[in-house]
Amino acid sequence: MKIIALLVSVALGVILLVATNDLPEWGDPQSPASTHLSRYYIENSMEQTSVPNFVTAVLADYRGYDTMFETAVIFCAGITVLTILRRSHRRKKKDVQPRPCREGQDIILKSAARLIAPMMQLFALYVLAHGHHSPGGGFQGGVISGASFILLSIAYDLEMLLSRLKERTIMFFSGLGVLIYAGIGAICLLLGGNFLNYSSWSKILQVSEVEARSHGMLGIEIGVFITVTFIMISLYADLASGGEMDEGL
Amino acid sequence: MSMYLNTIVVLFTGIGWIFFLGATVGILRFPDFYTRMHAAGKGDTLSTMMILFGFAAYQLHHPDLASLLVAFKIVFIAVLIFITGPTATHAIMDAGYGSKIDHWGTRDGSVSHCLIKEDERS
Repeated sequence: MKIIALLVSVALGVILLVATNDLPEWGDPQSPASTHLSRYYIENSMEQTSVPNFVTAVLADYRGYDTMFETAVIFCAGITVLTILRRSHRRKKKDVQPRPCREGQDIILKSAARLIAPMMQLFALYVLAHGHHSPGGGFQGGVISGASFILLSIAYDLEMLLSRLKERTIMFFSGLGVLIYAGIGAICLLLGGNFLNYSSWSKILQVSEVEARSHGMLGIEIGVFITVTFIMISLYADLASGGEMDEGL
Repeated sequence: MSMYLNTIVVLFTGIGWIFFLGATVGILRFPDFYTRMHAAGKGDTLSTMMILFGFAAYQLHHPDLASLLVAFKIVFIAVLIFITGPTATHAIMDAGYGSKIDHWGTRDGSVSHCLIKEDERS
């Protein structure tokens, strides 16, 4: 079985490597992407979406499908790790690997974590909200926000985090983020536009179509933020405790 | 005015570089884990803060709101490093102590003996 998998991946790799011959040169100014596509985004994104950072405009608006399924991929990764690693307490006795375990909690680490975690969460929200003007957005903000929770669970322990934030809640919010993203797109359909074409939101928000696209992008970034945050927490909790959710590092 | 400000900037960044140099030499030359972590933690934190204060002072050349905001952000980074750097050093030290790493000079009391042992081990 492993040999078949190896053959398939090698064959696929060779095909992909051969196909790179047909790609345009690196940074070739004559390539179709540089002559039509990039110029279109650079020249038109500001007046079409009123978002100064056109990377965000491309990511969240012009290629919204791509980003939506990226979010779905993150969600699937979290679910997969949960499915593979998570064990119920009944089956746990058998093959438990000995893990390094810390006895007692460190007052210095705890105090520092208590100081840093709110700052990180605030900064995460700043990165999320400032994605329209500077590098940032849902993915980056979500990672910072997830890291703040992971920091807390390292400085205290996993049980403390999971007693404040139940597993059920974590998985609920991971799904909610994808739902917000897809829901914003679906409401566009209901309002008579195309899927993920945020300009149709102008009927609800009472703003111009250009402004509506900007606001729609913020909405989907919030969805991405929620999913990434909670999938990060879920991944850490599963991986650190070997799926048992008891002690962790 | 700009002359004095430049002096302050160069002074701060220069002190930062010197401390960085000291930290680097300390990491390379100190005999055991704890002293090396000491050099890394202390020197790194202070030198990074000094260099950042120098950068923040450089922003005051044009004291309008935008550069003041940048200076404030740099000072904020310095505060973050002031909190996180020593804490991280403490955590690593604690982990090392927890896994019973030997002190320098605790075996047989003689310094040179331990240095030789350190060499043999590596």
